[in-house]
Amino acid sequence: MRVFVLPPWMLWWMAFLPPLAGLGAATLIRRAHARTGELQPWIEAIVVGLTLVPLAVVVAWPALLLPARAALAAGLSVALLAHDPRDLPQTEVALKIMWVLSAAFALSWAGDALLAMASGSARAREQWPALALALDPYALWTAALSLSMMAGLVLLGGAPFHFWPGDLFHGARAHVAPFVAATLQLAGAAWLLRHLDGISAFNDAAMLVRSLLTLAAATALAGGAATLGYQTRPERRVGALVSLQGGLVLASLAAAPSREPFADHGGLALWAGHLLLASTGATLLSRFLPAAAGAEERASVLFRRHPWTGVAGGYALLSLAGAPGTPGMYLWLDVARTLADHRRPGLLFGVTLAWLAAFGVAAFEIRRAFGAPDGTPAPGRAVPRSLRAAMWMACGSLLVLLYVWQGRRAG
Amino acid sequence: MALPQLRVPPNYAGAASATLGVALLMLPGLAWAALGLELVALAFWLWARSLPDRAEQLARWGWLRRPPMALWLAAALFLALPELKLVFAPVPAGPAAGPIAAPTFIPAPLPMTRDPMLLLRTLASLAVLWAGLELMAALPLSRPFPDLTGPARPVGPWLTAILPVTGFLVLWRQAAVWTAAPLVKEIAALALMLAVVLAALRAFSRRSLTATLRWLVVYDSAMASLLVARDVVRGEIAALLWLGAAGGRLIALAAELRGQHVRRGAKLTRYWRFAGWVAGASLAWPLLADAGFSGHEFHVVEYFVLAAPVLLTNALWLNRVVEAPERRAMARREDRAPRMSRLGATATLLAGPASLAWAWRQGLHVSPIAGAAALLPQLLAWWPVRRLIPAPDPSGVVRENVAGGPRDFALSTFRAVTVIERQLAAAIAGVARALGAPARDLHSGDAQEYLLFLVGVAVLALLLPLLR
Repeated sequence: MRVFVLPPWMLWWMAFLPPLAGLGAATLIRRAHARTGELQPWIEAIVVGLTLVPLAVVVAWPALLLPARAALAAGLSVALLAHDPRDLPQTEVALKIMWVLSAAFALSWAGDALLAMASGSARAREQWPALALALDPYALWTAALSLSMMAGLVLLGGAPFHFWPGDLFHGARAHVAPFVAATLQLAGAAWLLRHLDGISAFNDAAMLVRSLLTLAAATALAGGAATLGYQTRPERRVGALVSLQGGLVLASLAAAPSREPFADHGGLALWAGHLLLASTGATLLSRFLPAAAGAEERASVLFRRHPWTGVAGGYALLSLAGAPGTPGMYLWLDVARTLADHRRPGLLFGVTLAWLAAFGVAAFEIRRAFGAPDGTPAPGRAVPRSLRAAMWMACGSLLVLLYVWQGRRAG
Repeated sequence: MALPQLRVPPNYAGAASATLGVALLMLPGLAWAALGLELVALAFWLWARSLPDRAEQLARWGWLRRPPMALWLAAALFLALPELKLVFAPVPAGPAAGPIAAPTFIPAPLPMTRDPMLLLRTLASLAVLWAGLELMAALPLSRPFPDLTGPARPVGPWLTAILPVTGFLVLWRQAAVWTAAPLVKEIAALALMLAVVLAALRAFSRRSLTATLRWLVVYDSAMASLLVARDVVRGEIAALLWLGAAGGRLIALAAELRGQHVRRGAKLTRYWRFAGWVAGASLAWPLLADAGFSGHEFHVVEYFVLAAPVLLTNALWLNRVVEAPERRAMARREDRAPRMSRLGATATLLAGPASLAWAWRQGLHVSPIAGAAALLPQLLAWWPVRRLIPAPDPSGVVRENVAGGPRDFALSTFRAVTVIERQLAAAIAGVARALGAPARDLHSGDAQEYLLFLVGVAVLALLLPLLR
């Protein structure tokens, strides 16, 4: 069978599709959530969309994210969350994230400073050959290396730091949360990658990093899988699924610390793009889901009034969980492949466990969303058109991503 | 302008979904099988949510998502790691000794070795086996489902019987995945033998013919899966033998729900009785011969463990299929000339012997002693054992309920096994919950605690390198 494969230049441009679609979706969502006093809701929405452009640029071009810029991107995300004092839940989320990120960056910068002192250089690539000379005490450089990774671990949001994605998707508004989550997690991945650049030059450090990342990935995957089952609110379930994406990055880095994760699927740019699109659709869907209804209760408004839009949102949720037939599946398979290639069966088992939990919970959530028909007529008031358009935009972009990755795999 | 909405009744949507699902199970790929099972689960969900007692029905059939999940897991493993397909493939040990001699092969390694690929391949095999066994009521968590009526009202009693059918289709079509792994076949054989025994006991202990027939479909599917697991005959032949036996019961069950079409008239009833017995005997005969007499030795345990349920189910079929009383003033046209029913009986009658003839042509060899011994329980079922089983009344329901009688024993045995299994499963779940509870209580959502977490992890990160 002949498979159409996209030319390389088009694949390069593909990195821009998710952020652009994300920006469009964010503008549409903001338009739907216009406050009663707003005179020009579309203009307000476009202005808010423009404030997200720096985050979209980061998602499209993660090569920009040097460690200092990663910290700046994190700061910008917190500022975006905190800018509206009237929005108390979102401000609380901003405070919580700032609280923990400040401490994490402080610890990591202390580690960086110690490493620079021990090796005589602030550049990661130059540090490892210097440390390999074994002129410094073991305790010094190991402590410095462990501390320098802290910010990356916190930013990736894997358990035990999975509280911030949960809080973010629960408390922040639907157009901001996916951008902030994608930016922070991307910053975490970039932070770790930059710090581990050239680490293969010092075998002891590479082994230590592998051990630490393996522990972190195992905790993130097992903790994330366990948390999924305990979450009571649909928004927090989306947050737990997002935290599992951080676990995937950790698992990939644990297998190959100096290789960019998801390199076979467009690297971190497309991973973050997928995360942005899938979490946009999923978080929108989660806001229509009942918090405590059983599977036998009637469907939520969205599913009774616009079931196909509900299906589009469900597709995004399934993609976030890596369900078969979605682009998210390729990311999970990519990590499984990497782990198998580097002979890490324990972590592969963890990925398997987390995937089963994620897929199972997402499928259950969608069944709960459809509920059971009770014969009552559909509600008269429609879900705003712009919200539905945002869901379709996320779903359509995910399908394009699926097509591209499928073609790439076949090619 | 409001567009008219297309609303498909849930009954039709479920039927289409289930039909497509079963059709997909016939395809060889694991992903197709997973999709097929997902569609069958979807059909049950669609049916269950449309009923007045939807809360109970949805809870009752919720477990149906587990088998497709197991198959998705196996499919994902093969998709991520295509080389898994080669893990248990036979490896030639060297060139053949001569032009006629077959080359020797190195036996497959055991999964206990440290190669992760072996473990993953075994995991994939176990996942497929789990899916098949659970659908055949051969695992503790789903054991009692054939006792229940399905969630679609008109065909509910029949609907449950398609689940063992899907289980067998999974095990048959995906046999290459699970039979290649060492130990998995043995696990499968043990679970299936237990399922055969329990299904026979439960079929015997149920009073109504419809419930008995559902359990007989489970029994047939488990027997046919044993043929596949033990590699007695080729998969296609096992499937044909199963089609004759289980297909006959499924037709009888459907007919029972539509005017007892297989039991209208003495001749037709006798014909069905004989056809079902031939189909059941054809299915059990090669299995009994192989289990009892493989390797030119008599395996007492295997033979008697299988012979007992074979004897019981054959006697049960012969005893329970009795002529239905005619209470209607005017018989339907189908009852006067029951062409469809006769056609079904003829197909049931011919499928078994035809499959055995095909197996014979393919090289199935059974020694005369093994053949005779394998036929013995089936012949005994005609007489005198059949007389020992309480006879049903003309409506097909057994009225006898003597305490301490054979029915009582069968019922108690089945219940004891299922209770033990459930308590074991509940104990394991309880331990898991107890272990998970502290983790659940760990996070209160307080911002102070986030910082404590960070400090804790930082201290751990400092200590771990020193402890290495």
